[in-house]
Amino acid sequence: MPRKEIYFILGGPQGAGLETSSSVLTSAFTSEGYAVLSDREYYSNIVGRHSYIHATVSSTKIPRSLTYPVDIVGGMDAETIFTHFNDISKDGFIIYDSGVENTKMQQIISMEKDVYERILEYFKKNNINPDVKSLVNYIENNSKIVPIKLDYRNILNSLRDKFSINSVEAQKYKSSILIGAVAGLTDIDSESISIGIEQRFRGKQKIIDANNYIAETVKDMVQKQYGSPLKLDHSLINMDEFIVASGNDIVGMGKIVGGVRYQSYYPITPAADESVFLEAHQAISVNGKPVSSIAVFQTEDEIAAITSAIGAALAGARSATATSGPGYSLMVEGLGWAGHNEVPLVITYYQRGGPSTGLPTRGSQSDLLFSLYSSHGEFPRIVIASGDNMEAFYDSIEAFNYAEKYQLPVIHLLDKFLANVISTTPLPDLNQIKIDRGKLTFDPKVKGPYKRFDLSEIIDERPALGSGVVMWHTGDEHNEYGHISEDPINRKEMYEKRMKKLEIADKEIPPEKRAVLYGDENADFLLIGWGFVKGVALDALDELRAQGLNGAYLHLKMFIPFPSKYVKGILDKFDNNKIIDVEHNIMGQAAQAITTNTGYIINKFILKYTGRPIYRMELVKAVKNILDNKSDKEVLVYGE
Amino acid sequence: MMARNWSDYKTSSWVQWCPACGNFGILLALQKALAELNLPSEKVSIVSGIGCSSRIPYYVKTSNIHTLHGRPIPVAEGIKLANPEQTVIVASGDGDLLGIGAGHFVALGRRNMQIPILLHDNAVYGLTKGQAAPTLPLWVKTKALDSPNIQSQINPLLLAFASGYTFIARAYAYHVDQLKDLIKAAINHKGTSLIDILQPCPTYNDIMTKEWYEKRIYYLTTEDSSWDPMISSPEDFDAKAPKILSKMTEWGDKIPLGVFYINMSTEPLDTRIEKILPGYLQYPPAKRPIEIKSKPLVHPFTEFKDRIVQT
Repeated sequence: MPRKEIYFILGGPQGAGLETSSSVLTSAFTSEGYAVLSDREYYSNIVGRHSYIHATVSSTKIPRSLTYPVDIVGGMDAETIFTHFNDISKDGFIIYDSGVENTKMQQIISMEKDVYERILEYFKKNNINPDVKSLVNYIENNSKIVPIKLDYRNILNSLRDKFSINSVEAQKYKSSILIGAVAGLTDIDSESISIGIEQRFRGKQKIIDANNYIAETVKDMVQKQYGSPLKLDHSLINMDEFIVASGNDIVGMGKIVGGVRYQSYYPITPAADESVFLEAHQAISVNGKPVSSIAVFQTEDEIAAITSAIGAALAGARSATATSGPGYSLMVEGLGWAGHNEVPLVITYYQRGGPSTGLPTRGSQSDLLFSLYSSHGEFPRIVIASGDNMEAFYDSIEAFNYAEKYQLPVIHLLDKFLANVISTTPLPDLNQIKIDRGKLTFDPKVKGPYKRFDLSEIIDERPALGSGVVMWHTGDEHNEYGHISEDPINRKEMYEKRMKKLEIADKEIPPEKRAVLYGDENADFLLIGWGFVKGVALDALDELRAQGLNGAYLHLKMFIPFPSKYVKGILDKFDNNKIIDVEHNIMGQAAQAITTNTGYIINKFILKYTGRPIYRMELVKAVKNILDNKSDKEVLVYGE
Repeated sequence: MMARNWSDYKTSSWVQWCPACGNFGILLALQKALAELNLPSEKVSIVSGIGCSSRIPYYVKTSNIHTLHGRPIPVAEGIKLANPEQTVIVASGDGDLLGIGAGHFVALGRRNMQIPILLHDNAVYGLTKGQAAPTLPLWVKTKALDSPNIQSQINPLLLAFASGYTFIARAYAYHVDQLKDLIKAAINHKGTSLIDILQPCPTYNDIMTKEWYEKRIYYLTTEDSSWDPMISSPEDFDAKAPKILSKMTEWGDKIPLGVFYINMSTEPLDTRIEKILPGYLQYPPAKRPIEIKSKPLVHPFTEFKDRIVQT
């Protein structure tokens, strides 16, 4: 029977081309009319450590979450087989290389010791010899899982004759073996695969041809022997075109559409890819004619990143910087300067596991409270968070609008999960996009002494540097002209003037842009989350609904100014015992933000802080445990 | 356009430096340089850090920015990258530029951006009452120090040279006309320039006083009328660099002033950007519209068509 959804894991050493597999398959499934969400999990390492992609493909909707068990585990190497054999569904498929059959687990030096010990214990308990062949035998004898053994070396050797690619070079095409095997089992058209490959290797014809050849060969091989047992049902997703992009890329696209003209960065995972994307799009042209340019500037550190972005913003450019926790920590003093001087600035903040270097390539939502309170002194800022590619695209534009309209720094929170997930994304609706530059001017009417911080208004005209007037900016408290002033009355008025901008923003920004309730406010229980939790919460609710449990999800999008009244109104409709906060941190930071803003105390939590995403099946189970009063707090740990 | 006078660049602010502070000379020289270059006030931005000298933005009538401690250079870079037409000058102290902000001082040299650095060099942290700054020589004990300085001094000229600055000079704060000429040359120099301005601090540096300096300073061109700091080719560099470096290291009984080094053979950053981004100078980031009637200038689906998959 055709499938509505399939799930797979493809694993191999970091640097061996899994990103290629991920983007090619996502494009291929998408061109067949299906939709994909493809996560990438990897160590902080360039070559050799175990990494894998974990994907959901759907024929009925845009997938929003990942889950276990998976239908396919495909391994470029033995480590993938050892690490993920337990992730396969009981009638799934395991694709492996006959060349690693005799590999023993203790030979794998890249394996984390704790992972090794955990698996070894399982092997001992079940009397399995720790080598690939014994493991595959055990799987074959104890489940309906079908092992698909392929001779990778032999397959790659064919490149020598066909394309004069030597055996060392041929290793780079391993990713296409897995692409071909997945294509075979799911019966995707070869044409769709080559669309994906062409997109990935644009213009490099020999590489395209060789990858196509490998994928096609393996697809035939697999289909001849196993058919297409994982063929997807006819797609019900009725759309003609999609964007296939990672979160990093979609934010880059949003910024470009939103008019970014200056982006600074210091290389840091998982933020740098966004700036790399912008570097590839620095020239802005309309109908083939150059009209403008984006200065993308790699600085010597994050202090220079934020302070140079301040300079560019003062000059009148839409200005942004992108970073992660350690970089943001360095930016904090500059953030205060920007807030104090009413500088519109966007800080795109991709959270990863902290503190310190933490888990540099793993996800987290542990920097919410930091982003709300970072800096000495008090000043207004806006903090928004995006939950999926669509939100991230619009929010990247809106962040600039808020920044310029209210003349303040905007912190746009994302996380590693979204940054690295490649997904099928519907085309944004252009009618929803508006550029609002607030009171920026290149032609100020006033001549002579200029009051940049005129107290007669809360939000003043903001001339770009160099445009007609002479003005001053300072990190000290300033008077209306931007000169230092320690006068107590001026201090009080300037302080209040700045903070009042938040009251205006609170009045002007509609609640639906700040928090969204999915489901019925009369539902039996309520999940609360933000960022990447959105997708898995919604999918878990669908699954729970099918089991007769009717829940709703409150998605928080703006933390400053917080939509207090709206959120309190929703919370009051539910039984306190049936309100569950779901987050990627240990403190329940969004729940704390709710309490701070509304006085409402949340008592039930589902938390995950292993650096891996929350999976649908573990969330469903945790919600049921809490609704059954088995616990007040569930801590999730699934995933390698 | 009417010629400008230095007093056109005065503000009504009370200049709150100590009597006889070297900063007065630097302020006057800067105002005179701007007047002689006839630069419109709003087209100039003086960017400072934190410290006594970093108050200079309030005393010059141009669009100025008093930034964070150590950060005037990156703020200046952001302005210049977004709007290359703006004249951007960094004026800050030795603690600010060579202590807390040293990383930026070095990085600026790699970029060779047209930003002159006026280094107010008094060897002490004045505004916090006289602690040792990075240019205070080893074992010197000024009156504010409890015991002699145990950290060695940085040579700003050598640091700038090693970092890639292409105009390196030293001046003396009380020689206003000579300093004014150096500032004019630095503003016009197509690349990063440093003027290390020796500046007595009459309040906290009781060792390196006006008398101390004036016994030691001399001009390179006075001592050697054939002195030629101009380098226009790699061969020129090989021929002149040893002498230039030996003059840069001279310090003690004799302290040379003037232009040590000008290298015209290194491209400035805007030229480099123009090479990878043709049109950058014609369409600088800050100066062009980003919307037409509130709609984005860029159509997302044509700009990113390589990411669009048809079903």
